[in-house]
Amino acid sequence: MTTLHTDTAQSKPRQRIPLISVVAVVFVAIWLVTAGFPFLWTAWGSFKVEADFFSRIDWTFALSGENTTRQTGGPFTLGGYQGAWIDQAFWKATLNTAIVTVFVTTLSLILGTLGGYALARSGRRYAFWLLMVALVFRAMPHITLVSGYLMPFFEWNIWGTLPTTIIVLVAINQPFTLWMLHSFFLSIPKDLDESAMVDGCTRLQAFRLVIVPVMWPGIITTGLFSFLLAYNDFAVGAMLLSQENQTMIPKITSFMGSIEQEGNIMFAVSAVVSATVPLFLLVMFFQRQIVGGLTAGAVKG
Amino acid sequence: MPHRTFLFFILPSAVAMFLFIALPIGSVILQSLHVEHGQVLVEVESCTPFGGCKTQTRVDAEATAALRAEAPLGRWNGLGTYMNRAHLATAELGEIFRSDTTLREKFAQVYQLRFYRALFFTLIYTFVVTPAGIIVGFWIALAVNRLPQMLKGPVIFVSLLPMIITPLIGSLVLYWMLNSRGILGKALQWLSGNPDLSIAASGPLMWVSLILYGIWIAAPFSFVVFYAGLQTVPDDTLESAMIDGANRWERVRYVVIPHLMPLATFVSLVQVMDNFRVLEPIVGFNAEAHAMSLSSIIYTDLQAENGQLFGSAAATSMLTIGFVVILLSPVLVRTWREFGKRAH
Amino acid sequence: MAEIHLKNVSRRWHNFTAVDDLTLQIPDREFLVLLGPSGCGKSTTMRMIAGLEDVSSGEIWMGGKLMNHLEPKDRDVSMVFQSYGLYPNMTVYENIRFPLKIRGIPASEHKQRVMKAAEMVELTPFLDRRPAALSGGQRQRVALARAIVREPNCFLMDEPLSNLDAKLRVSTRAQIANLHHALKTTTIYVTHDQVEAMTLADRVVVMKGGIAQQVGKPMEIYDRPANTFVASFIGSPAMNLIDGDIADGTFSNPYLTVSGLPHAARGPVTLGFRAEDVSVVSEGGNLSAPVYSVENLGDSTMFAIKGAHDDLISLKADKTARMAIGETVHAHVPAAACHVFDRESGLRIDGFDNQAVA
Repeated sequence: MTTLHTDTAQSKPRQRIPLISVVAVVFVAIWLVTAGFPFLWTAWGSFKVEADFFSRIDWTFALSGENTTRQTGGPFTLGGYQGAWIDQAFWKATLNTAIVTVFVTTLSLILGTLGGYALARSGRRYAFWLLMVALVFRAMPHITLVSGYLMPFFEWNIWGTLPTTIIVLVAINQPFTLWMLHSFFLSIPKDLDESAMVDGCTRLQAFRLVIVPVMWPGIITTGLFSFLLAYNDFAVGAMLLSQENQTMIPKITSFMGSIEQEGNIMFAVSAVVSATVPLFLLVMFFQRQIVGGLTAGAVKG
Repeated sequence: MPHRTFLFFILPSAVAMFLFIALPIGSVILQSLHVEHGQVLVEVESCTPFGGCKTQTRVDAEATAALRAEAPLGRWNGLGTYMNRAHLATAELGEIFRSDTTLREKFAQVYQLRFYRALFFTLIYTFVVTPAGIIVGFWIALAVNRLPQMLKGPVIFVSLLPMIITPLIGSLVLYWMLNSRGILGKALQWLSGNPDLSIAASGPLMWVSLILYGIWIAAPFSFVVFYAGLQTVPDDTLESAMIDGANRWERVRYVVIPHLMPLATFVSLVQVMDNFRVLEPIVGFNAEAHAMSLSSIIYTDLQAENGQLFGSAAATSMLTIGFVVILLSPVLVRTWREFGKRAH
Repeated sequence: MAEIHLKNVSRRWHNFTAVDDLTLQIPDREFLVLLGPSGCGKSTTMRMIAGLEDVSSGEIWMGGKLMNHLEPKDRDVSMVFQSYGLYPNMTVYENIRFPLKIRGIPASEHKQRVMKAAEMVELTPFLDRRPAALSGGQRQRVALARAIVREPNCFLMDEPLSNLDAKLRVSTRAQIANLHHALKTTTIYVTHDQVEAMTLADRVVVMKGGIAQQVGKPMEIYDRPANTFVASFIGSPAMNLIDGDIADGTFSNPYLTVSGLPHAARGPVTLGFRAEDVSVVSEGGNLSAPVYSVENLGDSTMFAIKGAHDDLISLKADKTARMAIGETVHAHVPAAACHVFDRESGLRIDGFDNQAVA
């Protein structure tokens, strides 16, 4: 990475800061504002009333909080949050999201590590075909599958419940999980399983005692992406969950449905900001794993 | 690995995929060949003591429910749904092309057909956002690579946000800023000098907003992958290019870009898959009036107020899956060839 | 401990045959080396014995039991891998102990057996370390210790020295020879390095294209190579092979004439002789050609001349010999040191014994 700029330092020592560096810094600064400002602005605005954040009159109200002060007595208000979390029972949606994401991530990883290991170690034609089928499945828009679920689920009376959604998300998650874990397993030398088997292990023992302990970084990274997929899901949750079982994201759209009511939109804004917080923390703590996961797929996939 | 062991390890995953991906596709096929029952109508003679008798047509709710319970799929419709006005619209297409109009008018007429409208937007979205995201991501990667080490971490942190954010949330956040009462919407009105300008009212503006949203969430992925790729550019090659007299741009052009090409292929594959399923921004931007995607028309069918249109949604789904396979086919063929070479 | 018997063993993938109808009898306690270039099927053969690779046809017997369908764990062999296959999450001690633990050997014996194995390969000071904290040679010794910690039917070693540097290779080689002497366990050792084969083996199997080219004691193979492939693979430098014609016991080609060869063959042949059997002379001799390169090796000087197909023919001379590139070198190639091979098939034509050299 250093070579790209050491060249200027070496060939023309002690020069003024080269123009290209200035351009690069300006470019990065513009990008940072583009990437980060919308979140800052929305988070800020979530503590205002609708007449300020969505002001018809003057956008600076969002900064000064004119109406917020007039309506609530202070420049910031928790009105939106109270409305969303308590009046509209967003806490329940949060709980549902927690249940769904925990189960989806765990089950995806259990099925995915077993399957990904088999695919990485088989090398036969059918393993290849399975990966190709998984790739096609991975590419299919989720909503196309959802239209296949609805009618049978109505018929069998399993529509609307959390377990149904969890299983569906696990299955939809599998192609991606398989691909990712498959490439992680490929990076573990085959010698390792083979020594274990010559040393006296069965395949399953070799997998459990030797491979999985080495695989933890890959499993954690894949787990993060499984979590993201379950957390970010909209199509499946919106169509397969009944009103009372809704997770956060479908719940937010249902706030939008009743937007006409004054103030309701601020419920949505606060709910959106609330739902962003876990993702924010996730990136903060697992930045390295996320970057590693994206590139692992790229380098080997 | 022996077949039996392979089966043991793959079985749970394969069963899950079979039950909840393969079978639903079967269910989609089946549904696409059926159409919902109409309401059962009965002729009722209602007589009033003095007014004589009148025959009325009424919905027989009981019979309708019974019929739906008996044959939930609806009635057999063959390929009818595929061909009707809301999907491939073969009859309408034929008429449009037979008619004596200019190409421009023909296009305008085809664009009025729901399916083609959605297909057109989906393709434009996919094939504008994918390359644009890759190019923007590449430039960010080059620029970030020049930053001092201590700044890189925080920059990557902020950059990741648009990518990992829930698409619906991301689109709402942008929409709230872009609509006529949001900060960016106001800025647009001020810039254009038109106080009534609103993305909700303007088709082109809505399209531009959707595509900008697409690039906003797509660029970080390319950025991260390319940035990691930049770390592995061989120093030797860069240095020999320098000794050979290549300037900065030539080094990028002849060393860095070729090195990143395989990554670009990977990124575009993933991005095409993700962009093709675009749904959330259309819901978040409330854009149905100006832009619909293949996913969004399925969503609308399934959300329909008076009874879900399973047949219609299923037919669109099948057509969408068909397009996905077509999009993927170059990759599948190439991978298959490579596998053939690799196989013993 | 057991003897191993391969009966007509083959391994095929779709249209590729890795091992072709191989039959081998390996007596108990033998140190057998499978030698050949990469892709010759030597590793596949060993992996079939370990049970890591399916046998397409034929039978593998070990200690009187048919092994074909046994899992690797049930074959009671131990194996040293080229990249060692150490468990990175375990310490050296745990690595060595792993086979005992997994095979349910009473825990009370573990410590004593691990210590004994570690002692044999001089690893005692490193038992608490993890593989990542070891040097290449130390890792290799952990792999060895893990193999010897139990008493298996046989040891399998897959190019165990190829990831080590030259110096370490020599000392580890000695260690392996010593271990085999002490343990007397049947050992199958795969390598592409003919020096390892010559120094370690009781018997060598030279393989190419999935077929055993020659099986024999190292010196037999060195002295009487069965074909041109074996001749060119064994010895350093490799045997010189020169095309020419033979008639009435005289081989001739534009720069070399050897007479006094037995009359058993006539027509186009390939003549083989080793660089060290040649004497470079100042004048006369039966070989003369311009010098292409000169290498001073310290104890000797090597001259190379160019053969008909641009191949190099090396001649070993005294360390004091001096010549410039382009000068004509004269040398004497004794008939007794020559091997004759059929040009077409490459097979050795017998009746040309070179006992005089041995």
